Amino acid sequence: MMNFDLLQAIIFDGCFAAVASVGFAVISNPQRNSLWVSALLAAIGHGLRYCLLHSTSIDIASASFIAAFSIGMLSIVFAKKIHCPAEVFSFPSLLPMIPGMFAYKTVLYLVKFIQCKDDDALVNILVLAFKNGVTTTFIMFALVVGVAFPMFIFHKQSFAVTRILKLVKKN
Amino acid sequence: MDIHLELKELSKFLSEYSTSLMAVGVHTSRIVRNTARIAESFGFFVDMTIFQKTIIMTLRDKDNTHSYSTVNKIKPMALNFEINSRLSTLSWEAYDEHLSLDELRTKYQEIISNPRMSKWMVLFLVSCANASFCRLFTGDWQAMGIVFIATLVGFFVRQKMMEKHINHLFVFIVSSFVASMIGCTAVLYNIGTTPQIALGTSILYLVPGVPLINGIIDIIEGHVLAGVSRLINAALLIISLSIGLSLTLLLLGVQTL
Repeated sequence: MMNFDLLQAIIFDGCFAAVASVGFAVISNPQRNSLWVSALLAAIGHGLRYCLLHSTSIDIASASFIAAFSIGMLSIVFAKKIHCPAEVFSFPSLLPMIPGMFAYKTVLYLVKFIQCKDDDALVNILVLAFKNGVTTTFIMFALVVGVAFPMFIFHKQSFAVTRILKLVKKN
Repeated sequence: MDIHLELKELSKFLSEYSTSLMAVGVHTSRIVRNTARIAESFGFFVDMTIFQKTIIMTLRDKDNTHSYSTVNKIKPMALNFEINSRLSTLSWEAYDEHLSLDELRTKYQEIISNPRMSKWMVLFLVSCANASFCRLFTGDWQAMGIVFIATLVGFFVRQKMMEKHINHLFVFIVSSFVASMIGCTAVLYNIGTTPQIALGTSILYLVPGVPLINGIIDIIEGHVLAGVSRLINAALLIISLSIGLSLTLLLLGVQTL
């Protein structure tokens, strides 16, 4: 069951994920008012993934999917409140979960594969390269499908969020 | 007004509008939707083909008697979520209030010329972000400090080189080389309990997250060609940053990562 240590670790994880999401988001010049939302969503998403990975036996891709799905659901709620496209804050909140390390490790192991002169070690390196590559692909698809799924469900609402701004102003 | 002149003027604006959207990193189906919406507010239809470097579009009137085609290069602009959001709002404004072309142009210029966040602020925030990212990979405080400095220097080099319009792949190689060199000090002098993580996360600020997400969204929504070209571009960037990192590993003789 959930104990105090795990809860503390999850909260820490969420806080650092929020800082990471804000920092990586500012490279793409986001709107100031959406920055706080993306930090909050990143904290919730990454914390949820941490919780799933450490308290259940679920794999990292499925955990990422569940985390991304909850980010997608919440981002539609917030998109209606702030009236800007949902991806403006759902994308930055995904950034801390992007499998960057798996991605470049794939390339590093492939480089190692051509450099390696020991035939027995080759298979091991190939397996590592393949494992990292597949993990990268699966996590990426899980993240994007997870976050886009709610947008497909609430098709009409998510496309017209920027419009509501004008209708509200008129009234 | 003469229908041909009207089509021509609107075409010019729409191709300007859609190439900016593409440059600031909007996914393809939103570009198509936004552009079609503005065309519709003038009573026209637009069809477009989107490539990584150019956009081809044809604007036509309702009964298909007159049309105007343009091909326009994608502008070299950096990713920008604020322009994305405000240009989407502009398309709904055009649709709901039937703005004239001149009004659209002035509003568009105002949105495009909006200044970005101060680059020193960005530099500081990216460094903090990468340091806390190191913490997410279970790095300790010493590792976080080293990653902070590595990112500060590496991202500064990237900003300076980007301003001089040097080839972006080369920029990525140099930037990741510099950052990983600083990250590698942790391994060389055995600082803290997690030096490997300091080295491993010191270059993660370069991972092109937004193009990766956009590429996969495009593929899911059926714009496979645009999506794959985005993914290939992102993969090139990841390969470049790996080259920078492997240069460091090779030079300093670090075997394990």
